[in-house]
Order: sequence, then C-alpha cells, then structure tokens
Amino acid sequence: MIARAGLRNLREVLRDEMVQRDRIAEALREGAKTIPQLATALRAPENEVTKWVMAMRRYGRLRELPKSRSDDYFLYGLVGGSP
Amino acid sequence: MTDAAPKADYDVLVVGAGIGGMESALTLGEMGFKVLVVEKEPSVGGRMILLSKVFPTLDCASCISTPKMAAVNNHPNVRTLVSSEVDRIVPRKDGGFDIELTRKPTFIDPAKCTGCALCEAACTVAVPDEFNYDLSARRAAHIAFPQAVPKKAVITRRGSSPCSFSCPAGVKPHGYISLVRAGKYDEAFRQHLEDAPLVGVLSRACYAPCEESCSRKELEGALPIRGIKRFMADRYYSTHAVPEYGPPREQNGKRVAIVGSGPGGLAAGFRLGQLGYAVTIFEAEPEPGGILRWGIPAYRLPKEVLARDVANVTALGVRIETGRKVSSIAALRDQGFDAVFLATGDRGGRKLQVPGEELSGVQDAVEYLHRINEGHPPDLAGKAVVVIGGGNVAIDSARSALRLGARSVKMFCLESRLEMPAHPWEIREAEEEGVVLTNSWGVGQVLGYDQRVFGVELVRCTSVFDEAHRFRPTFDLSVQETVPADVVITAIGLAPNTAAFAGEVALERNGTIKVDPETLATSAPGVFAGGDAVTGPSMIVTAIGQGKRAAFFIDRFLRGESTEGTRFDSRLPKVDPVQVAAEAHESASPRPPVPLRRRPAEERIGSFQTYEEAFTEDQARDSANRCLDCGVCSECRECVRACPADAIDLGMAARHEAVTVRSVALATGFSPFDAKAKPALGFGRFANVINGPQMDRILAPTRPYNAVVRPSDGKAPSNVAFVLCVGSRDEQVGNRLCSRVCCMYSMKQAQLLMGSLPLADVTIYYIDIRAFGKGYEEFYQQTKGMSVYFQKGRVSRIEETDGHDLLVHFEDVEGGGGHKVARHDLVVLSTGLLPNQGAFGLFPSGTLERDAASYVHEVDEELEPGATSLEGVFAIGAATAVRDIPDTIVHAEAASAQIAAYLRRGGATA
Ligand SMILES: Cc1cc2nc3c(=O)[nH]c(=O)nc-3n(C[C@H](O)[C@H](O)[C@H](O)COP(=O)(O)OP(=O)(O)OC[C@H]3O[C@@H](n4cnc5c(N)ncnc54)[C@H](O)[C@@H]3O)c2cc1C
Ligand code: SF4
Ligand code: SF4
Repeated sequence: MIARAGLRNLREVLRDEMVQRDRIAEALREGAKTIPQLATALRAPENEVTKWVMAMRRYGRLRELPKSRSDDYFLYGLVGGSP
Repeated sequence: MTDAAPKADYDVLVVGAGIGGMESALTLGEMGFKVLVVEKEPSVGGRMILLSKVFPTLDCASCISTPKMAAVNNHPNVRTLVSSEVDRIVPRKDGGFDIELTRKPTFIDPAKCTGCALCEAACTVAVPDEFNYDLSARRAAHIAFPQAVPKKAVITRRGSSPCSFSCPAGVKPHGYISLVRAGKYDEAFRQHLEDAPLVGVLSRACYAPCEESCSRKELEGALPIRGIKRFMADRYYSTHAVPEYGPPREQNGKRVAIVGSGPGGLAAGFRLGQLGYAVTIFEAEPEPGGILRWGIPAYRLPKEVLARDVANVTALGVRIETGRKVSSIAALRDQGFDAVFLATGDRGGRKLQVPGEELSGVQDAVEYLHRINEGHPPDLAGKAVVVIGGGNVAIDSARSALRLGARSVKMFCLESRLEMPAHPWEIREAEEEGVVLTNSWGVGQVLGYDQRVFGVELVRCTSVFDEAHRFRPTFDLSVQETVPADVVITAIGLAPNTAAFAGEVALERNGTIKVDPETLATSAPGVFAGGDAVTGPSMIVTAIGQGKRAAFFIDRFLRGESTEGTRFDSRLPKVDPVQVAAEAHESASPRPPVPLRRRPAEERIGSFQTYEEAFTEDQARDSANRCLDCGVCSECRECVRACPADAIDLGMAARHEAVTVRSVALATGFSPFDAKAKPALGFGRFANVINGPQMDRILAPTRPYNAVVRPSDGKAPSNVAFVLCVGSRDEQVGNRLCSRVCCMYSMKQAQLLMGSLPLADVTIYYIDIRAFGKGYEEFYQQTKGMSVYFQKGRVSRIEETDGHDLLVHFEDVEGGGGHKVARHDLVVLSTGLLPNQGAFGLFPSGTLERDAASYVHEVDEELEPGATSLEGVFAIGAATAVRDIPDTIVHAEAASAQIAAYLRRGGATA
C-alpha cells in the first residue's frame, strides 16, 4: 500500500523533546523498549520518537542495550537514575 | 620577502578553513609567511571532518583532519579566527587589500571555556544539528562536534525573542517558558526573579505586552504567557512559604532611600539590596505595595500574593518603613542617605469640573478602591451606580461595585469602544458580569437633590482626539440624556503624586518629575525618580523597568562611575515575528491556545475571590511547548548556572576588525545540493530518504545514532539503495556538471554499510560509474566484489509504503529494459556539489570573475593554478571546481606555490 507521506516541521518535532523526554523516561521506567514500542506507549509517530530517543541518548539520559544481528530493533533503557 | 613588498598586517588572508584552506595556510605558514585564516563556523575542518572515512583508502577522515586542525590553530605564523566572517575585501593602490571582518558573538568567552559541555547538557532549547545534517537535535548552547578545534562552546542566538524584547521590566518570558516546557518549574521562577521581583503579582495582574508581541499570534494565537507564569509562581510559592535567600554577605556600607513602595520602589529596592546597599523604603500607607495593595481589587490580585512577593524584597535586608510620608528630600540627606529614588506614583482626584461634582454620593475612583482594599467598602447594596471613565480604573471600579451588591452598574465614557484605554478582555469580562457600558458620552452635570446625587446629565461626545491625537474632546450639546444614579464614581485620570517635592526637583508642566530618560537622574544630584511619578499612569511592568534602570544608575553614581555613554539596555535586536511564524508554519501541527478558565460571571460577582483558574501542570507545559523559540536561545540562563568556568556572556557583542593583507586565498568550498529540489525523490517528505552527507554522518564514529538505523523507526535496515547523480548532470536543476565525488563516496558508504550490516542487500542505481583517480577503479571492483548490486538506470520517482519502506521507480537500462519498481527500507540520494557563491560578494561588484559553471574562474588552470581574475587573489580547492579531497589538497599546494611566488615577487607584478 502506498502511504500519503508528510513529515512534521523538524524544528517543532525537536522542540517537543523537552516535553516528551519525561514521558519517554516514564515509559522506560517499566523496562527497556524499542522505538516502535515507545511510539505505541506515547501514541506518537515512530520517526519523531526516533529523534527524541537519539537526543536523550546524546545527552546521556538513555542508552541502547546490546542486540543480536537477527534483531531488527535496539532496546533502549534509562541510564542510572535519569532523568 | 622583498623590500618592495607593500606593508600589511598579514601576507595572506585565507577565507575558509576546510581541508583546502588549512592545507594552504599551513604550507604558507611553514614558508614563513604571516597568515590570517577566517572561518565562519565555530570550528576549523570544513566538511571533511564530518565524513566517516575517505575513499579509496578507507582511512578515518577525522584521523587525517584533526592533526591539521590542531596545527592550523596553533601554528606560530597562522592566526585563526573561527565564528568570524569577512565582510569586504577592497583592493588597495599598493597591490594589497583592506579587509573588514566581523567576529560574531559566540556568547561564551573562549578564553574561559574549557569545552566541558555542561552548558549544553543544561540548555533548554533543542534545534536541528547542522553538523549532523539535521538528523538529530543539538542545543542552543553547543560544541559544534566532538573533534571541534578550538573545542569551545558557542550559543546560537538569532536576536531577542519578541516576547522578551517587549517586556518593559526586562523579564525574559522566552526563558521561563522554555524552563516550564522542560519541566524545570522552580528554575523558571528563579529565572524570573533574577530579572524582576513581584513574580506573583505579575502572574495575576500584568497586562502582558509580551502576549501582544508573541510570534505565535501570527498563527493560531499567542502563548498564554501570563497563565504560564501564574502556574510557575503558584507552584513555587506553594512549596516555598518564605524566600530561599537572605541578605547578600557583602554590604557596601552605602545607604539609599526609596520613597514609595509600589512596583517601581520595590524593584529598585530589590536590585539595590542584591548589590549590597542598605536600602530603606519609606511608605506613607500602612502597608507596602502602592497601587498593587490599595488600587487593584483582590479578585484580580489577592493581597497574600503581593505580601509573599514583598517578602522576596525584604529578605535581602531591604527595610520598608510604612506610615512614613516623606515630604522633604533634604531631610533624607540629613539622615545620611547617599542617594534617593522617588517612586511616589499617582494619586486620584482629577475633577470632572462640572456642576454637582461636590454632591454627596460622588466619589473619586482612587479613594473608592482604597476604601475597598482597606476593608471598609462603601455600602452600595441595592444602589444604582454610574461610573464615569473608559480606562482600567473605571473597569475595576465598576466590577467592584457589582461585587458590593449594586443594583445596577452603568459605565459612560467619552471614547468609542475602539478608542477606550481599557483592554478589550477587561471590557468583555466586565460586560459578562453585568456592567452596562455606553460609549461616546460626556458628563454635562451631576444632578442632585438636598446635597445628594440622584442622576447624571450626559452630552454626546462627537470626538475625543484632535488631528495630532491630543486629548481635545468635542461635544454636541443638542444631544443629551439623563440617567438615574445613587452613586457616581469618577475615574477620569490620575495625577502624579509629586507636589511635596516641587521645590527640590524640577517638575514637568503636567506635574511629573523631570528626569534624564536614560539615567532617570532628576535635577538634584543623587536624586533619581521613576515609575508613574515620571511616566504618568502606566503599567506595573513599566514601573518595575524604571526601578531597575534607576538602581543600575544609582549604583554607578554611588561607585563614582560616569553615567555618560553607559546604556542600561543590552537587548539584541528583535527577531521578526512574521518571519518566524512563516518559517514555523511549514508542515507544523496546528496548536490552538488553551484558554485560561474563568469562573462563571454570576458566581464571580458574589465575592472578591480570584476568578481566574490556574493552569494544570499539563496545560502549562503544553502551552509552553507552543513556543517557537524565536530567538533560538531563550535566555533561560541554565548554562550560566551550569558553567563552572563562569564563561557565559549573554551580553557579548559582535566585534569588527580591519586588517591589511598582501594577498587573498579563497577556500570557501562547495555548497551541497538540496535534494528537496527533486521533489519526486521524496527527500524531506519520507523519513527514510536521506542524502549522502547524512549517510556519511550515520557511518561516522561520532554518528548521531547508536548504529546504522533508519530514521523512521530505529530499525537496522536490511535493503539499502543509493541513487547516484542527484542534482548532478541534470539540466532540470541547472547543473550539467558531474559532481565527481558521488560515485566514489556512495561506493565507500556501501562498503562501510556491508561492514556494519553484513546481512543487508545494497543496490546502487547509476548512470555510469566515474572512477577516474588513482586506485579508484580498484575500489569500484572491490565494491562489486562485496556483492553490492549495481543497477544501471535513472530513478524517476520514489514512493513510501505504510511501513515506511520505499518503492523506487527506475528505468532498467541493462536488464529487461523498461520501467521497474524495487522495494528498499532505506534510500540514500547521492547528492552532488554546487559552487559556493559566497566569495563573489566579498569584492567590489563584478571584479571577481566566475566561470561558466559559476565557480571562481581560474585564469590559467594549467600554468597558474588558483590565480583568479584579480591580481593577488587566489582560489583553492572546491571553490574553483568540483574536487575530492586528494584533488583539493594537490590544488591547495599548487595554489600555495603560486601565492608564495607572488609574495616573493613583492606583491603586484604590474
Ligand atoms: C557526502 C560527501 C562525502 C564525501 N566523501 C568524500 C570522501 O570520502 N573522500 C573525498 O576525497 N571527498 C569526499 N567528499 C568531498 C569533500 O568533502 C570535499 O572535497 C572537500 O571537503 C573540499 O574541501 P574545501 O576545503 O575546498 O571545502 P569545505 O570542506 O567545504 O570547506 C570550506 C570552509 O569554508 C567556510 N566558509 C565558506 N564561506 C566562508 C566565508 N565567506 N567566510 C568564512 N568561512 C567561509 C565553510 O564554513 C567551510 O568550513 C565528500 C563530499 C560529500 C558531500
Ligand atoms: S540561556 Fe538557556 S537557552 Fe540560552 S543557551 Fe543558555 S541554557 Fe540554552
Ligand atoms: S513564540 Fe515563544 S519566543 Fe516567540 S514571542 Fe511567543 S513566547 Fe516568545
């Protein structure tokens, strides 16, 4: 099936990290999750969750867990007592 | 160098510190020439430092670049300026050049910054990271990239955000909004408190000029900035019953007297108290606050909120002596005060000057509101009240009358509805509550019987202002009306409360105190004045701004520093809200404002209880998240608090330098092709269509993601396509040239991909492969040998499936022929290189020639590499043609030899 595509304004998506990061941390407190699992928990588009997760990773709030070659997705877990 | 050489500060100016510029600067520096390198980015290194590896050797790009970056930054003959731009290059008669350049403010002192990046971790503003080609977020405060040289943080600021620019009190709404958005509520309160006291008062009663200026007003509506402030103030005060601080440890022993404890006096006291002055505020009334305490009704501003705000001032050791009316400045001097600030505000009492005004039942609004606020309201139960006036005081009077049980409240004013000084929302709320407003009437006389008022005779007002917009009302006396009234409240203007000082400081004709508008100094030395006593009736924030300004100059005065030429205002120019809104509009989600809830009108007129409900945490945070970050940096000052080196300087200004040089080397590099110019390929529309530079970042050791994953969902891709020649060899986009590097970098990326994802399929869609350099053909064969599939054929369009996979439509040239479609889960558009047009604007118009493809024209490529149409000006690397790194380096060396020969000859050959 062909999807009608459209990406939201990048600056707007990135700004949302400041609010979404607490919601992501909340979801990860139950245990590590993949980006699609987080997107379901947050009811947010996966591509936007990718941006937020990568920013949180960059600033030391979460990290990836080791994955085997056959897994499609990484699991991400909170770092220490973050946030 | 020969004796004939023209005298100059530098032998060579190198513009651009990419690999070409660095190579040339180092070579010339080694030869003993004095070199000035100017780079507009915060780090040297150009585009090469952002690459993963280089073809065909697969050496690590940063391992090759970083030693050169460090060398160019430290070479004794090379001065390197980053975050700097050349503005103009003007040839001189002696063959040299006059250079004007700007050192852009980075807002972080590079001499102090240690590169620890704690500012970045604390920063509350997220923006696209240009050094990761927008694949990820960075912060407003940031270090360009991990290997940056110099490794210094910088702050991105576009200007003052309109909200922050507009606040007369110097509050930075953008700052506390970004803190609330980040969930840092107490920090938000403290940030406000640093800028101005009375946070609680402003959260309830400020007229919020910031909301009027908010860029989001151009979209679905301004941010509810005051509502956000109310949330953070309420929250802070609910957990901080008393201030967190005491008087500053160091007192300077000087004494300042402030006359009046309204917002102007309190703001000045707060600032001077912070600076270690012994401040005494003298207040005639029994409690501090001025109009906040005695004018504004409690339903708009609960008095306990004011009291808590005042505690923030007195906690600094500021004394407030209430019941102390000051009538002589000389007496204050006698008591040993070193400076005086007069902030005596207004009083009421402007007269209608009509017959009947003296009748019992006619009241001045200021006195009437004072009585209510001291707990002795007039008995208005069941009475017909008429309020005269169209401003805020009239509205407060009318709404208070309803709360005191008046049978009816009618408001009459000279102005038409649009001309009324009261705010539209106040008028709306008053009308909701039952105030009946009638416009364009003046008072002919107040009617009475037996010394008591029973009505008002009104006359039609035909206009209020003359052509010069001066207050000159005209009336049509033939149109009259009489309204019954038991009580008449007059709210027709306030007069400055300055009569007591008329003999000691000069006054204006309207009774306000005459001051120097910059310093607020009066005619008497050491005496300053501000607030409504100077401006006439204004706003709380204006008075606070005046108090802060006065404190700034009182401090300078008492330290014996000159106030001449000193400016209090350090704001950057305002960002254009229309432009911000236009940029934010594209593909943005509509986010209508959440309105502040107000209790129903019938309920609210039952008491003087506050009627506006506070935002919940979610409402406040979501409201803050509508902010467009107009100025980029919000001035929240989290970086200032986080920086252990005290390096942040938000007041830094641009510096302009003029130097002379003997020759110029342009190493301004290329501009990457913007793949959005090929809309059929889906770049910018589909998350998994990325460009070549982005793929290089994903593969680099300092990559934006933890591994090679697709941007749509973090999945490790299993079937990747490269589409070559995007924006190259393409008449449609106006670039006939081959970009020379895309074939090779795509093969490099394909090889690296196979290394990190051995199970993935990789396809390269190509027209023909151009592997022209040393070792390139072997690299091509090696790539093929790694099972990368080469598909000959031009890609016509790309579509996205529901799962964010991509359908690539292409013409199969070699196979069965015809139109085919293949499915991939990540597509890389191998975008080409375009000429950077920046260099041409640096010279007097038209003097630097361009070639047919708009690169800098080399007059004799073979014999004099790098020489341009201008004597003494050379061009290097990708500034002259599409070049890869080996080509750029060779060209830079060849051009450097030309430059050295030119300089040794003594400059100009003519
Ligand atoms: C995705 C991609 C991958 C690539 N991979 C490879 C590879 O593997 N191997 C290879 O050999 N080549 C590769 N290249 C090509 C390589 O990046 C270029 O050849 C090289 O960067 C050119 O160097 P330069 O110094 O001329 O320009 P740049 O690296 O572009 O540097 C120019 C510098 O000048 C600055 N500047 C511009 N205007 C001004 C001004 N007015 N004032 C001050 N400063 C200014 C710029 O900010 C920049 O820092 C790749 C290119 C791309 C796009
Ligand atoms: S003031 Fe705030 S927004 Fe600006 S750079 Fe510092 S932390 Fe970031
Ligand atoms: S959008 Fe944000 S930064 Fe811009 S004016 Fe409005 S509140 Fe201020």
